[in-house]
Amino acid sequence: MFDRDAWLEVANNVLAHPLRTTLTGLSVALGIFILVVMQGLGYGLQHGVEGQFADDAVNSIWVEGGRTQVAYRGNQSNRPIKLNNGDVPGLASQADTIPAYSRRIRMWGAEVIWENPDGENPSGNFGLRGVDPAHIELERSNLLSGRFINERDVLESRKVAVVGPNIVEELFRSAEPVGAFVRINGVLFQVVGTFEDPGSRWENRVTYVPFSTAQALFRSDDSFDQIIYSTGDMTTDATIAQSGRMLGWLKDVKAVHPDDSRGVRVDNNNEEYAMYASIFEGIRLFIWGIGLMTLLAGAVGVANILAIGVKERTKEIGVRKALGATNGSIVSLVVMESTVLMLVSGSLGLMLAVGLLTTVAPMANHEYFQNPQVDHRIALFALVVLVLVGLASGLGPALRAVAIRPVEALRDE
Amino acid sequence: MIDLRGITKSYSTGSQTLQVLKGVDLAVGSGELVAIMGSSGSGKSTLLNILGLLDAYDGGTYKLDGKLVANLSERRAAEMRRELLGFVFQSFNLINFKTAAENVALPLYYQKVPRKERTVRSHALLERVGLLDWADHLPSQMSGGQKQRVAIARALAANPRVILADEPTGALDSKTSEDVMSLLKELNGEGMTMVVVTHESDIAAACQRTIRLRDGVVESGGYV
Repeated sequence: MFDRDAWLEVANNVLAHPLRTTLTGLSVALGIFILVVMQGLGYGLQHGVEGQFADDAVNSIWVEGGRTQVAYRGNQSNRPIKLNNGDVPGLASQADTIPAYSRRIRMWGAEVIWENPDGENPSGNFGLRGVDPAHIELERSNLLSGRFINERDVLESRKVAVVGPNIVEELFRSAEPVGAFVRINGVLFQVVGTFEDPGSRWENRVTYVPFSTAQALFRSDDSFDQIIYSTGDMTTDATIAQSGRMLGWLKDVKAVHPDDSRGVRVDNNNEEYAMYASIFEGIRLFIWGIGLMTLLAGAVGVANILAIGVKERTKEIGVRKALGATNGSIVSLVVMESTVLMLVSGSLGLMLAVGLLTTVAPMANHEYFQNPQVDHRIALFALVVLVLVGLASGLGPALRAVAIRPVEALRDE
Repeated sequence: MIDLRGITKSYSTGSQTLQVLKGVDLAVGSGELVAIMGSSGSGKSTLLNILGLLDAYDGGTYKLDGKLVANLSERRAAEMRRELLGFVFQSFNLINFKTAAENVALPLYYQKVPRKERTVRSHALLERVGLLDWADHLPSQMSGGQKQRVAIARALAANPRVILADEPTGALDSKTSEDVMSLLKELNGEGMTMVVVTHESDIAAACQRTIRLRDGVVESGGYV
């Protein structure tokens, strides 16, 4: 196998047939190239979809009020529905288990002024949310400094705030925000922490304050806008059942017609994620299908070229036999040739594909397409398949060719 | 050198069996230059296959260089071909993507002669047939006569005991045929045993003896 002469003979033969070598090499290289690139694009799509869900926790249910569309139980349509503190135990009774939840009060625009003791007082218009402590996990935010809203903040309605990176950047610049005082819509709060939300541009312009503080200061009643439940590690089906019960209960309590889809909303991220996951699964299967077909087309092409090549070489094989070659040495010559050809061109296609994906990957940054990558196992699998096909397709004709009696093969037709 | 007694050979094609050789008796002595003649269908090529150890025979005995050739494994047959026989073909059968020198060196490759020695010996053989200047040319760049001379050099490369030539001048014009024949005669003059299969009587006339084959048996000239 590691006979230098035999390898030289192989190299000589491969190089002596530039057209055949180029054609075979091209179909192998192309097959691998397309398969690997397609898989890379598939990963790009997957990362894109996963990026879409980076904003909020995947295992969460979001409940909020809306406006009714249908008159029901003596109520006019177009009636606004608000969630109230009193709804919380009722909603909780519809849940299997509730590891964590957060009520949420939203204000789109609130004036925030930094009460700077030694200098000017910069101000800006930012979003405000009154939230419970679990909100940081449910919104998938990262604490950067200080602390988040805690239980005591909510219990005692403390005037503390946790600010997003845009506020830090625009008001505090290089100054230390934690410990500073800010005036929000005229009320003084102390900043206790900073956070960032990599999944959402909007969330980074928000100030969080304790839920009870926000409700007391900015609401005239005990209403709030949303409540978010974590579903922990419940199965998707269980969460769908739970969100269905919550919706039914809420509609009944708020006198919303059962068919009214706008009165109250219960969005189940689990369900949505499962749907995206199944769509993505489909795309992945599709890409696999295309990849395998490409590989198959390449393999058939290779088998065809090799079979023709061996047939053309019947005479050469006859000569070699007459000159003292054994059948074994001829078959191994043919098989080594096809293997070398496959390996070299397959590796070439692989390198091209990896090169393309690694140069293009940093540029690809679309909402639904991020960070394509190479799956080495798939690339290796494709290479092995092609080499095996090469072996098989070279072996058959070679075995037939050596079975021919040389004098017949060498006679002029 | 070659001794055939009652050689028979048949091929079955589907339902019917074709008896090609029906008991061939002949002998070729060491250093002889012998022609085998016969019309097509006389069994010439089958006989050549058997002589060349490229096919097995059904009955009779075949002794080559004093050794009985029977029930050879494929590997052993290849080994004996390599050591004892040199082939020259009608259509030259040079490997067209190899240079003249590489073609001549091919039998040495199968004898596992080291590369350097292969080059030296192939060049010496090309010089012997007057084609040293063409060593690095491809067959497509050479004339028919030159190609046949390369083929003869190749047949000599393995230092065989017998050269089997199958219609060696069949694809050549008469002038070139004469050149090739005189080369073969020259080699014979140096002691090489030669069997030339031909259907041309002037080629046969240039040999020392003619064995005539007809319908699978030797009609005349089987023995000296």
